Amino acid sequence: MGSLYSEQLTWLHAVPAYAKLIALALLGTGLFFTDQQHTLLVASVCCLCVFLSLGQATTKTKPFLVGLAIACALIAIFHAYQQRLDLAIITVLRLVSTSLMGVALTLTTRYSDLLHVFERLLSPLKHIGISSEQLALQLALMLRFTEHFFVLWRRLDEAHRLRTGKSGAFKILAPLTIQMLVAARRVADALHLRLRR
Amino acid sequence: MHNSSRSLALVSLFAALIAVFGLIPKIDLPLGVPITLQTLGVMLAGCLLGPKRALQALMLFLAAVALGLPLLSGGRGGLGVFFAPASGYLIGWPVGAFVTGLIMALLPTAAPRSAAISAFVASAVGGLLVVHVFGVVGLVNIANLSWEQALMGTLVFVPGDLIKCALCATVVHTVARGLPDWRFGG
Repeated sequence: MGSLYSEQLTWLHAVPAYAKLIALALLGTGLFFTDQQHTLLVASVCCLCVFLSLGQATTKTKPFLVGLAIACALIAIFHAYQQRLDLAIITVLRLVSTSLMGVALTLTTRYSDLLHVFERLLSPLKHIGISSEQLALQLALMLRFTEHFFVLWRRLDEAHRLRTGKSGAFKILAPLTIQMLVAARRVADALHLRLRR
Repeated sequence: MHNSSRSLALVSLFAALIAVFGLIPKIDLPLGVPITLQTLGVMLAGCLLGPKRALQALMLFLAAVALGLPLLSGGRGGLGVFFAPASGYLIGWPVGAFVTGLIMALLPTAAPRSAAISAFVASAVGGLLVVHVFGVVGLVNIANLSWEQALMGTLVFVPGDLIKCALCATVVHTVARGLPDWRFGG
């Protein structure tokens, strides 16, 4: 399972993950509480400049950018139709700023670095029984089995196609789910032996 | 019974199943209506895992998305998706799964048929109603739509989601027959 992280190094890769997360949180909150078009325009231009400064690293974000453009266009048309052009501008500027910064953070921050920040953030929850190490283990298990279940789905689909000449579509959802539940029982036994809990 | 290991495995593997639902191409129903499966995963999580584990599975899945993994349908992921107009629906997933599980735990599930009917009701309330309420709140706050506009926008997806509730009931019915000792609703 690949991450959206870009191996093409940029200046933003050098900024620590926690600093980028704090910046994103402050930006998102700040933009949410302002309705001033000038402020939002300046923020959007700054965010766009930061995003464009990442150069080649942004190439893999094309599908996301297309989706964002469509969403912005739809919202703008919706508000313009209601004679609320000011609201259209404010909403689109907010969306563009926060989305571009979110994507920039994802592109320039390794999965492991973000996980480390999340673990640090979750560490106070240890007192109420939520372990940050458990989160890491669960993420690892999830990623391992995403690939496994995808292969399983393809096998089931192929088998159905051979039998009927058509794709399995929703008919293989139940067998896939049952296989998942059976696999979970096996994994639980293995974890019990290893973790003793 | 090693409950902690069981929870850990179920939560992780169900989150993986929801991720796979995002990788499966859209399914065309007989009338040509295309549906994507990840919201079905929300409904199934509640029905099969119970409220607490379903909530954890969806939180884990969204944490993986936030960490940048392209697990949402269409290969989307990263923090940017939480600022998009439809992010209300995403945030509603864990709550929807929790409510689905809560209702499933209260309804009869002893026989496959009763489990399927309960699953339909639970997923219609949790996976459909609750998720759409969050979606509408998101559209109002992020896309600045009025309540009426947001409601009209979300109603378009209700027929497709009702089909998913029926699919969820069918899967639960098959699981009840295939794994008779499975405890629905946790």
